[in-house]
Amino acid sequence: MAMHFIFSDEVVLLFDFWSVHSPAGMALSVLVILLLAVLYEGIKVGKARLLHQALMSLSISTSQQLIEETDENSSSSDAPPVSRTHLRWFLCHFGQSLLHVAQVVIGYFVMLAVMSYNTWIFFGVVLGSGVGYYLAYPLLSMT
Amino acid sequence: MGHFHHMGMSSGDDNSTMAPSHHHPTSSASHSHDHMMMMMPMTFYFGFKNVELLFSGLVINTAGEMAGAFVAVFLLAMFYEGLKIAREGLLRKSQVSIRYNSMPVPGPNGTILMETHKTVGQQMLSFPHLLQTVLHIIQVVISYFLMLIFMTYNGYLCIAVAAGAGMGYFLFSWKKAVVVDITEHCH
Repeated sequence: MAMHFIFSDEVVLLFDFWSVHSPAGMALSVLVILLLAVLYEGIKVGKARLLHQALMSLSISTSQQLIEETDENSSSSDAPPVSRTHLRWFLCHFGQSLLHVAQVVIGYFVMLAVMSYNTWIFFGVVLGSGVGYYLAYPLLSMT
Repeated sequence: MGHFHHMGMSSGDDNSTMAPSHHHPTSSASHSHDHMMMMMPMTFYFGFKNVELLFSGLVINTAGEMAGAFVAVFLLAMFYEGLKIAREGLLRKSQVSIRYNSMPVPGPNGTILMETHKTVGQQMLSFPHLLQTVLHIIQVVISYFLMLIFMTYNGYLCIAVAAGAGMGYFLFSWKKAVVVDITEHCH
């Protein structure tokens, strides 16, 4: 395996069937890797937003429960709302965990693509990360 | 890239003591090219024969050993996620204890005023910072190990890394999120 960056139109990326021989194939592969890097940055922002939304909705629902409890003064109706909130939190957190697995896998895929030491692919990763950050991070503060 | 390896193989044949142990280079160029490419896979594969894992003595040859390696890698990825969450918690705890440092100060009319000092950051030689540094080193080493494991391109081990990361995030971040919710629900 060559341990230095080379400019080449031939590369095999990640899977056996993804073998590139021509400039057109290389351009398409660079585009796919670019979109993968954009998706990675997007998932990072998406996870943070999902956590923030879950905390906001959870704090609103728990404060509503407290208001209802002080108004009604009954202990019999406590069980269903609490379990509903727990279920909602569980589903939310499970979704976040799946998103985390996707982030880990895509991160490693992008790392392995860079490991092919093909300079065009590397440019695609760098450009994709930049474009992804540019598009996604304003969404982080837009709450 | 293939020519480079072919030249490397033929130069090895010039040394007469090494020729018997090497694959004979008079076979076709594509065959020796394949021989060099098999040493480090560059595409994903599923298998458990002759899988080298991180260290030179650690070679997986049977399905049982692969199952054991799967469990070990799974636990390593889970431990990495837990370490990340634990470091965040430690940092938050040590910073809170420094930030709100209020002390009584004598006021102008003889009254006692409470003056709140806000100290940002930590001292370099304080125990929390040293502990954070040690945990950071461990985290860096484990993250590089996980990267190298993923670099073996072995399908089973890669799935173990991803699943362990997901399970670790699910178990440890659950607790963190609940703690954050209780203490910071006014945000």
